Amino acid sequence: MVIGVSEGAPGTPVGRVLGTEDASPLTFWVAVNDGAYLQLDDVVVTTRDLHDLGPVTISGVVTSVRARHEGASFDSDVFMIADGMLPAMVQEAAEVTVTRVEPEVFVPPLPGAVAFRAEGAARDGALSFDRMTRRLPMGSGRDGLPVFLNADFLDGSRGAHVSISGISGVATKTSFATFLLYSVFRSGVFEEAANTKALIFNVKGEDLLFLDHPNTRLDERTRAAYHRLGLEAAPFPQVTVYAPPRAGDRSGSPDVASRLTGVDPFYWTLAEFCQDRLLPYVFADADDERQQYTMVVHAVTAQLARNAVEKDAGISLDGTPLHSYEQLVDYLVDQLNDDATRSAWAGSSVGLGTVNAFARRLISSKRDLSRLIRGDLPSGRNHRISTIDGAQVTVVDLHNLPDRAQRFVVGVTLKTEFERKEKAGTAKPLLFVVLDELNKYAPREGTSPIKEVLLDIAERGRSMGVVLIGAQQTASEVERRIVANSAIRVVGRLDPAEASRPEYGWLPPAQRQRVLLAKPGTMFVAQPEIPVPLAIEFPFPAWATRPGEAGAAPRATLASMISSTDPLKVVKSGRSSGGRSAEAPDDGIPF
Amino acid sequence: MRFHVDAWSPTYGASREAEGGPGESSSAKLDTDIELDAKRWRAMDPPSAVAAPRRVLLVDGVRRTDARIWIGEHPGLACSYAAGVVECTPGAAKLADAKVQRTIFTSADEVSDVGSTPALYRTESIIGADESDLANAVQRSLIELEITVSAAARADDDLLIVDGPLRSRDALPRTLGYVKTQQKQYLPDALSRVATSLRPGQRTPIFRIAGVYERLTWYLRLPGGGGSPWAGMVRVECSTELPEHVAIGLADLSAVTIPRFASVSYKDPRAPQNLVPIAGLEKRLRQLLGDPKLLHRGLVRASQR
Repeated sequence: MVIGVSEGAPGTPVGRVLGTEDASPLTFWVAVNDGAYLQLDDVVVTTRDLHDLGPVTISGVVTSVRARHEGASFDSDVFMIADGMLPAMVQEAAEVTVTRVEPEVFVPPLPGAVAFRAEGAARDGALSFDRMTRRLPMGSGRDGLPVFLNADFLDGSRGAHVSISGISGVATKTSFATFLLYSVFRSGVFEEAANTKALIFNVKGEDLLFLDHPNTRLDERTRAAYHRLGLEAAPFPQVTVYAPPRAGDRSGSPDVASRLTGVDPFYWTLAEFCQDRLLPYVFADADDERQQYTMVVHAVTAQLARNAVEKDAGISLDGTPLHSYEQLVDYLVDQLNDDATRSAWAGSSVGLGTVNAFARRLISSKRDLSRLIRGDLPSGRNHRISTIDGAQVTVVDLHNLPDRAQRFVVGVTLKTEFERKEKAGTAKPLLFVVLDELNKYAPREGTSPIKEVLLDIAERGRSMGVVLIGAQQTASEVERRIVANSAIRVVGRLDPAEASRPEYGWLPPAQRQRVLLAKPGTMFVAQPEIPVPLAIEFPFPAWATRPGEAGAAPRATLASMISSTDPLKVVKSGRSSGGRSAEAPDDGIPF
Repeated sequence: MRFHVDAWSPTYGASREAEGGPGESSSAKLDTDIELDAKRWRAMDPPSAVAAPRRVLLVDGVRRTDARIWIGEHPGLACSYAAGVVECTPGAAKLADAKVQRTIFTSADEVSDVGSTPALYRTESIIGADESDLANAVQRSLIELEITVSAAARADDDLLIVDGPLRSRDALPRTLGYVKTQQKQYLPDALSRVATSLRPGQRTPIFRIAGVYERLTWYLRLPGGGGSPWAGMVRVECSTELPEHVAIGLADLSAVTIPRFASVSYKDPRAPQNLVPIAGLEKRLRQLLGDPKLLHRGLVRASQR
């Protein structure tokens, strides 16, 4: 049956509301016209005229589609039908989950009503895009048109925080997080985008160290995809990369393998370690908190803050000069082992076993933290991770740090940034924090200083202007309050066992099945205003995600003009052409 | 004790006739010497050169009495009936046409239409009719409707198979009547043995039955009927107006066409005689008749106005 297009229709007619399945104001089924089709995620709209209230528009997205033989009663009838013996009709039907009823009169659509594939304003209305004052592009729908995120739910005006879940490697969690950031910075939706900062922790490989390098694999199709979203395909303009000092290197040069320029080392001086009371972050395992020695940790922390005096690059404690973390640890262990000084450091009521447990943990931290907590490097050197005076995007590389050191860096950095925002007292400009493996830093069970900071961000960050973009393989293993506080929930490909957990209850059953086969670049995004998660595809990153993809380094990151030119190349080109080369002006030649 | 179970479900009362063979013998005059001399009758295999037509049309109708009514002293039958035609081509069987009619047959003379579309009953007055006359009128109307839909979707190379005896439909070209149940024993015992000795896919020579509806006919055994003598047996008819060689051609054609459509017992209680396309068609037609309770309620409501 073909239905004619009428004037002012919300789109192309695709079928009619079914009467053999119940139609309700929340879901209904549409029988698809012969020759037409509906696919998952298509936006469908239908109307119902009420004699006193006028037309009610009921719109939704397709959450299930099916085709069946009508007139067949046995499975084997399909052979007879295909053989041309049994008359039967193929009928397609689509289940539509309602996303909006306008005006809000919750009446079911009537069976037989024409269903349209929503286009233009009708599509915007169905997906509530017309109600968004600030629409942040986050990808394109199955129809190739942009899908938006209500920026009010990202920047804290009405909600904040993003929780991204999915299998490592396939779910493209960090790619989506960085794309979202790119959209925040470059879409023009945020007025104060220029001042907005992002703090990204790079936990795997050197993936995120090239955000400011153009991607050499970028093609025209991807560029067009960016343009459709109203974005330019370009790398992040300003990126500061911090990397830990190389282990055993006395000069404190950053430990990176592939990115050679524009990387600053980060570390803490012993004086900062004592004065800023960073010792608890050394014991940031969840199981550390359950141990008795927490008391000792706090006592020693207080004692260090009280007694440490900055001396040269290091500190002196009661006259003993200390120039490395190892020396500090050894000194503390000595003090704790000495009956005369133990009670001064650990408190009087602490048993010897507890003190020894603390000492054991402290000693074992030497190997992991000695490269980060320094007393040997000249003071005055810029070595602290800070988003305030750095570039727009600050990347902190953790990937070659051991677990304990990663926790220490994340905990201390987040605490510092959060305290800074707290002191500033104003939410703007915003700070976005991208943290992968949230289940490690804020596990469901137990407490730890990092978890406390993250909980603080999740619960109060909205008003402080700190937005957490947390990613994890399994949302079920992350502290419930952090996930619950995320206004925006995103999943990529999920593990089947994980998808069935109640943490993903916001996914309708059909989408729970679909996330099992979501391909890289496909995400399901739930936002508060739209009752159905939207399936989106976000474009391939315009910035390099690995060294092999990285194009020319941006000039800003280069230490000098010299490093922008490969000296050998200059020599070669000089030889071959016998004259000046365009890429090597006179003053750039290093010799 | 050796025994056979009827292939037809016992709810279809005609099973004895279908399986056990014709119950009553017919007194109709026969001409059994048309294709072969009666003494030389044997089971006929279709010539290997004969191929089934690409387009086979099958026509059937269904009827249902929605309500018995009384108009004053006069009885009436409110009936819905539908006829349709299935077009079977290699790869697709589709409903080529279907028509539904609703009529109140009554002996009353002052009548008017009842109900409103889509459940509108036309009224047909048959003066002086009793109940069985009314039932016959329903059957007649259904056959008229079948003839109307049969005309649709005809092409030059097709074969039309109508469910039931041809009767008045013998004017349609390339048309076979298909009789599922054998109520009358037409053949004398000697020739009947030829019929019972048929293997699936074989037919008897054609013979003529004289009477009100004169026709040329033959028996054909369908596969999947079981072991009893008349299992899977159908009688196929064609118009007696046809030249004998054309009729023989049609008989051969039926032997290569119809067995393909035979149904299987676990799906159809009247297998194998109830052909698959016809079973599908009947199901669709019954759907088109509408919900009987709803129609009955509509009639009751209309009667109370």
